[in-house]
Amino acid sequence: MKKLILLFVILAFITTFAASTIELIFWTHEDPNRTPLEEKYIQEFEQMYPNVKITRVTYPSGKIAEVILTAFAAKKGPDIFNMEIQNEYPYILNGRVAPINLEAIGLKSYDELKELYIEGALEPVTYEGEIYGLPLELTNWAVFVNKKYFREVGLDPEKDYPKTWEEMMEVSEKLVIREGEILKRRGFDFRYPYYFTFFLPMVEQLGGALISEDGKTAIVNDEAWLKVLRFMKEWGPNGKNLGSPTYTNARKTFNKDNNTVTMCLSGLYQIDRIRAQNPEFYESGEWMVVPYPVFENAVKDVRCNYYGHYYMVNAESSKEKQYWAWKFINYMLSHPEDYLLNVGLIQPRKTLIESDTFKNYPYADVFIEDMKKSHSVPLLANGPQFEQLIREAVEAVMLTDTTPEEALKILKEKANELLKEEW
Amino acid sequence: MKSLERKKAVWGFIFVLPAIVFFIIFNFYPMGYAFWISFHKKNLISLRPPKFVGFSNYIYLLQSSSFWNSVKATAIFALGTFVPIVIFSLIFAVLISTRKRFQKFLEMAYYSPAVLSSVVAATIWFLMFQPYGLANQFLNFLFNTNNIDYKWLSSEKMLVLATIIVYFWKYVGYYTIIFIAGIASIPKSVHEAAIIDGAGKWQDFLYITLPLLKPTTLLVSIMSMIQTLRTFSTQYFFVQSGAPIKPIEVITLNIYNTAIRDMRVGRASAMSIILLVIIMFFTYIQFKISRTEEISY
Repeated sequence: MKKLILLFVILAFITTFAASTIELIFWTHEDPNRTPLEEKYIQEFEQMYPNVKITRVTYPSGKIAEVILTAFAAKKGPDIFNMEIQNEYPYILNGRVAPINLEAIGLKSYDELKELYIEGALEPVTYEGEIYGLPLELTNWAVFVNKKYFREVGLDPEKDYPKTWEEMMEVSEKLVIREGEILKRRGFDFRYPYYFTFFLPMVEQLGGALISEDGKTAIVNDEAWLKVLRFMKEWGPNGKNLGSPTYTNARKTFNKDNNTVTMCLSGLYQIDRIRAQNPEFYESGEWMVVPYPVFENAVKDVRCNYYGHYYMVNAESSKEKQYWAWKFINYMLSHPEDYLLNVGLIQPRKTLIESDTFKNYPYADVFIEDMKKSHSVPLLANGPQFEQLIREAVEAVMLTDTTPEEALKILKEKANELLKEEW
Repeated sequence: MKSLERKKAVWGFIFVLPAIVFFIIFNFYPMGYAFWISFHKKNLISLRPPKFVGFSNYIYLLQSSSFWNSVKATAIFALGTFVPIVIFSLIFAVLISTRKRFQKFLEMAYYSPAVLSSVVAATIWFLMFQPYGLANQFLNFLFNTNNIDYKWLSSEKMLVLATIIVYFWKYVGYYTIIFIAGIASIPKSVHEAAIIDGAGKWQDFLYITLPLLKPTTLLVSIMSMIQTLRTFSTQYFFVQSGAPIKPIEVITLNIYNTAIRDMRVGRASAMSIILLVIIMFFTYIQFKISRTEEISY
């Protein structure tokens, strides 16, 4: 009998303890520099609040959108997650994410929250008067240059770096190394398949747009689109063979400084990745960052679109979990300087942007100056589908016999069909 | 006697019951749900209930150029893959069966790619199809050319060929093993009788082995055709890695993109039902032929 009572007491204790423990599942994309930082915050948070247990799971950045989508479709989404804002936006529209719990983050109103961030930083996550995410980063891309390879071909990197897309093609032709038809070193290559980020601004520079101002037409200004599609065709393996979506990501090989790529497009975080992966190259001073180019006859000075990663909370998690999730997110994000210095991520907090730490950070001025001339990636209910249609058009002209005119015709047809589709 | 038979039947049913339950939950239920949802409009992440739309998903697909492009891509891939697979797996099986040494080793060597994950296989081959990869080096050696880029991933025809090669490499060993089993099931006495009657090795193969292998050949050809209609991993991986989608957007890839990228579950389900009908049609043919071609010794 005594044994039975003891067993009952133990079971009751376990049940009570288990019931009071809050387990939060946190999914994010792989970032080797961010992982140790956030694991540290998890440990600190769990020490402060022993009733909370947080499990952080990472997925490759190219896969996380799919993984989260399938999880949410099965109503098994994580409590906390982040993706690029264009992928997160449909979750806001469909009521799948919870608005910020102001009490959990120690604020009284949304206005107080907005005051902490630079103007417009929370706009992408504001919907029907509620705010649904806190920004982990606001990122735009500029051109990273390996100065050594410029000098090798008789160019002065400080003066001869490409300012226009026409110059980019010209300079890249000088920088490439070929063995027969095989490309051994690229001058520059784009950041495939992020067409909303790097490709749309090229179209906009020439006066084109994805959606008309009245929102009724997709793919505006055929001439602008055609010119950029022709440029991409000429860039690809069936043109001048300067780069291709099928080649290894230029951003990855750039850090290796192994004579395979001279320039790539990336964000400020690339600097920390160079430092982590190739300290010798980082210290050598043989790299620099220059602004995103503009077409010679551009009608608009638009630079690379910026995108945000916002931490969000699953609307289907219990209210208690939502509270702790926001509390934890707020705790992590209350260290913007750590994120900048260790990961190279820019949190759009006023305190950070105005700090000396940020102002003295290498090449921060290049990114900020470009960001002033840029805007966010488009936020649409079916944004990922639009980006995919652009991808199909660009890759068709670069990698098949499809002409820019044919690709544009298909793109226009499909994009307008998508625009008219009601959900 | 009757009660014993009855008992046996009951126990037999009890033993297969778990498999039946498993099949109902994991096969029949999803199939039934896919059929039901194919008549609805449903956004994958929306919490709104599906909206009944009748046959409009099917009508849309039958009028969609993207769907017909997928049918074409699937047909090209299926035909381009299953014909060489049947021919070469038969040749390899005969070569292995007639060897006196290393038979088991060769069987294992041919079969080994089939146990590899499809994504791993596609990754290995994707690297080989890069301009500096082994595929270009091999063709340059074969045609005695110098550093020519045969554009494995940047020309429509070469891209289709590349996906066919990956699939062929991965599965030819699997079908070779089926043929080896078929060859082994032919009684030796039949070959011996032919040799006593004066048949040579070639005649023995042509007039004894080949006709008696007809059911296996049919089985392999139809099995491989059905499998090729369901191909997905290689095309998915290649497209994810930057290859153009149009030439290799097989039906399964289109289903995946429609459901996961476009979030249109109803339309994707309608496409999967059409694919199911196509596969059932070939399965029906398989049953018809296998019944008429049974061989007894």
